[in-house]
Amino acid sequence: MKKYTIHLTVNGEKHTLEVYPNALLLNVIREDIGLTGTKYACGTGQCGACTVEVNGEPVLGCMTLAVAVDGAEIKTIEGLAQPDGTLDPLQEAFLDTNAVQCGFCTSGMILIGKDLLNKNPSPSESEIRNHIKGNLCRCTGYNGITRAILKCSK
Amino acid sequence: MEQNKFHAIGRIARRKDGIAKVTGREVYSSDVTLPHLLFARVLRSPIPHARIKSINTREAEKMGAVCITSEDTPDIKYNERQVSIPEKTYRDRVVLPDKVRHVGEGFAAVAAKTESLAEKAMRSIEVEYEKLPAIFDPYEAMRSGSPQLYDEICLGDTKLPIESNIACHREVGEGDVEHGFKEADLVVEKEFRTGRVYHAQMETKSVVCRPEPDGGISVWPTTQSIHNTRQLLGRIFSISLNKLNVHRVPIGGSFGSSIQMNTCIPICVALALKAQKPVKLVLSREEDMYDHCKYPVIIQLKYGVKKDGTITAGELKTIVDIGGHNIQAYPLLGCMAGWFVSLYRMPHLQFDGTAVYTNKAPGCAMQGYGNPQVSFAVESMIDIIAEELGMDPIALRLKNYVGLGETFWGQGPTVRSVIRSCGVEEMLLKGKDMIEWDQRVSPDKKTGRYRKGVGVARGFHTSGTGAPTPGEVIDYSTAMVKVNEDGSADFSTALMCHGGGTLEAGAKIVAEELGIPIDKVGISPADTRSTGYDVCTHATRGIYCGGASIQRAAKEAKAKLLKFASRLLDVNPEALKIQPREESDQGHIFLPGSLEKHIPVGEVAKMAQYKGWGTAIGVASHRQVNCPPCFVTNFIEVEVDTYTGEIKTTRAVAAVDCGTPINPDLAAGQLEGGLCRGIGLALLESTDYDPETGRLTCGGTFIDYKFYTPVDMPPVDKVKTFFADTYESSGPFGAKGVGEAANNATAAAVVNAIYNAIGIRFAEAPVTPERVLKALQNQPDVEK
Repeated sequence: MKKYTIHLTVNGEKHTLEVYPNALLLNVIREDIGLTGTKYACGTGQCGACTVEVNGEPVLGCMTLAVAVDGAEIKTIEGLAQPDGTLDPLQEAFLDTNAVQCGFCTSGMILIGKDLLNKNPSPSESEIRNHIKGNLCRCTGYNGITRAILKCSK
Repeated sequence: MEQNKFHAIGRIARRKDGIAKVTGREVYSSDVTLPHLLFARVLRSPIPHARIKSINTREAEKMGAVCITSEDTPDIKYNERQVSIPEKTYRDRVVLPDKVRHVGEGFAAVAAKTESLAEKAMRSIEVEYEKLPAIFDPYEAMRSGSPQLYDEICLGDTKLPIESNIACHREVGEGDVEHGFKEADLVVEKEFRTGRVYHAQMETKSVVCRPEPDGGISVWPTTQSIHNTRQLLGRIFSISLNKLNVHRVPIGGSFGSSIQMNTCIPICVALALKAQKPVKLVLSREEDMYDHCKYPVIIQLKYGVKKDGTITAGELKTIVDIGGHNIQAYPLLGCMAGWFVSLYRMPHLQFDGTAVYTNKAPGCAMQGYGNPQVSFAVESMIDIIAEELGMDPIALRLKNYVGLGETFWGQGPTVRSVIRSCGVEEMLLKGKDMIEWDQRVSPDKKTGRYRKGVGVARGFHTSGTGAPTPGEVIDYSTAMVKVNEDGSADFSTALMCHGGGTLEAGAKIVAEELGIPIDKVGISPADTRSTGYDVCTHATRGIYCGGASIQRAAKEAKAKLLKFASRLLDVNPEALKIQPREESDQGHIFLPGSLEKHIPVGEVAKMAQYKGWGTAIGVASHRQVNCPPCFVTNFIEVEVDTYTGEIKTTRAVAAVDCGTPINPDLAAGQLEGGLCRGIGLALLESTDYDPETGRLTCGGTFIDYKFYTPVDMPPVDKVKTFFADTYESSGPFGAKGVGEAANNATAAAVVNAIYNAIGIRFAEAPVTPERVLKALQNQPDVEK
């Protein structure tokens, strides 16, 4: 199989990559770029653990071919805090509302929550639950996560 | 009472692994990467029962893959769970078998430079199967003439013949149950069933192995016990334990799914040893779903009661469909007997349990270990009895529960202890007010499409498996605490945090004992070389048992610290105290009442080294002699849509008696999570099998294996949690466990609420909309 050259800007850093046409964005981010905060948990677009932001929209990394997003601006969980390490208010809220247990869904949950807050700075609880419903968490029962996003709702 | 004196215990502090988890920097097993890493795939059976007649790996090898089959792996029978003593450990599997007993059972594996090449190589392997008849129903499996999964297995090192697919059987009795039923005014009997729930931990089982130049191997696995994993790998591969290092890696959820050394671990080790290169194996979700599940049970429950509600006798008979391997059915049956005996007082009792092999994915421990299943039956039955007697369900519970001063079976009949702390009454009465129990009306007064109901159930779990005498279950922990030169401290232990905050609690215990701030306590990375033995973080034992060893190690470090300080201050060490001081952000050792006699902790640690007096370090190993129950109570409100059969949970009160809550926020989080999973057991979850193919009807995906999503839980202000005000004198700073207890009462509370809503008693979980609609068809007052 022939490899293709693609260009991705990930968390502000430019990458030129040689990838197979069937390479998934999830695997390219984790293995080729080495950012392992984006998680594999189902591989079939059913849990949201691999959520990343592509050109400002949330995308499931396990359902997206890397070649299909050639030239895109991508943000992963590693790119959410300031370069000096200052956390995003939603990351702070996750720490303060007990939204994190095992942490495996956390990256995806924060990115989908951030997407909502970008689009609607003052979501209600039901708007929050509805927006994050494609992301699964087995530990928390979702209430800590909902509280975290509510805390950032203006 | 004691709580007010604590500066660290009970404080809400950000979890130490929190920043790594919210920034994506936590490194889980599946994130571990090493130079020259190969990727593994496992060839798994597409049919439920077969002998592997031949395997041809030539094509795979031509692609450059390293291949292993049963011929390349040791013929040593093992059981992946190592928590029971060896004589009580049933061993029925090998690393790669030549006979498969369920769809998804691995029998060959490959490693290659990329995962896709490994997948391609794995698919190129030619296999000739001799199909054997398969069996999926436990009753059918026990019938004579049914296909047999095993002729014999090993119990410890002794050969054990298997007949009628019965993996093991246990009977426990006290008193004379027939006499007890004769004394009763009312005898009730009913069959209950629970589903084959899948753990659905977010991280699939994973492992990375690296062969070492000395012939040993390093392992980074998803596991709840690094030491048991090491011991078992040592036994299977004949590697001396000092050459086998298993690292503790953060785990992406467990719920019991990694209580054992998961089967992917020895497969990956065998590949790495053959390839002499590091190998990584990450299971797909489908593979993971075929690996393990919760034990589904069929329970025949019978109680005898007097008119005043006094229970005279109880009998529980159960059939457990354990699937293709016996991982821990024997201790499970003992535990189920224990949960039954410890819920309600019975002068005469009988337990009879049978575990049966079928050609399905094996059952293994999952949050509660038989307890949610037993509580589902018993707590449903208590409501049935209350209605028959015209008693309030809460009053009936208060009359019969096993409480203070009574005997609790924490881990089956051989692990018993006396209850010294108990918040059952407080939780029932306070929860009753919070849910507005007195406004509850009977189902016959409800009309309309949507009908609400409120239900209650109580339960408990053991805190560990300690007992006054050694039983069949191992309970042991080790910890080390050392004070650093700046007044901070590190502690190391092989305990795991599954997300619930076990190691956070350890840090608070160290901070409290040493009198230093919480943020000055570091959690050391752990591996089997640098830590003492810890059996496993299971059985809700992390804080009560593991925490007790941490407290003992901290006490020892503190004693040394005070001895050194006494020489520097010229004060008897017993007169000295340590307290954290804000101005220096560390602990200060001082003589109460004296302004001159004080010195910072770090100064003492440093001076003791300069002067050659020693290091303020403590090491302790400990086995608890009790296993106090952490009690729980759930009140749940449901809303049943009588048109669609759908059930919503609309309100809940979840309470726990965990003694002193060391991490109150994290413990409350466990209550919410346990509630969510318990509702799943009640309403949604089961892995069903197609008897034609032996495959999962959900196909191994989350689309068709449903569990609660964010929109399904009640709103945040409708879920209330609280802690009973108790103090467990045998636990560290008064603490007991929380973990598994959190989901033990939930499923029963849900079905009791459904009964209160529509007057239909569901004895089989999950209560799916299809089952609700079918049951509603017989209700005359409901519009169809």
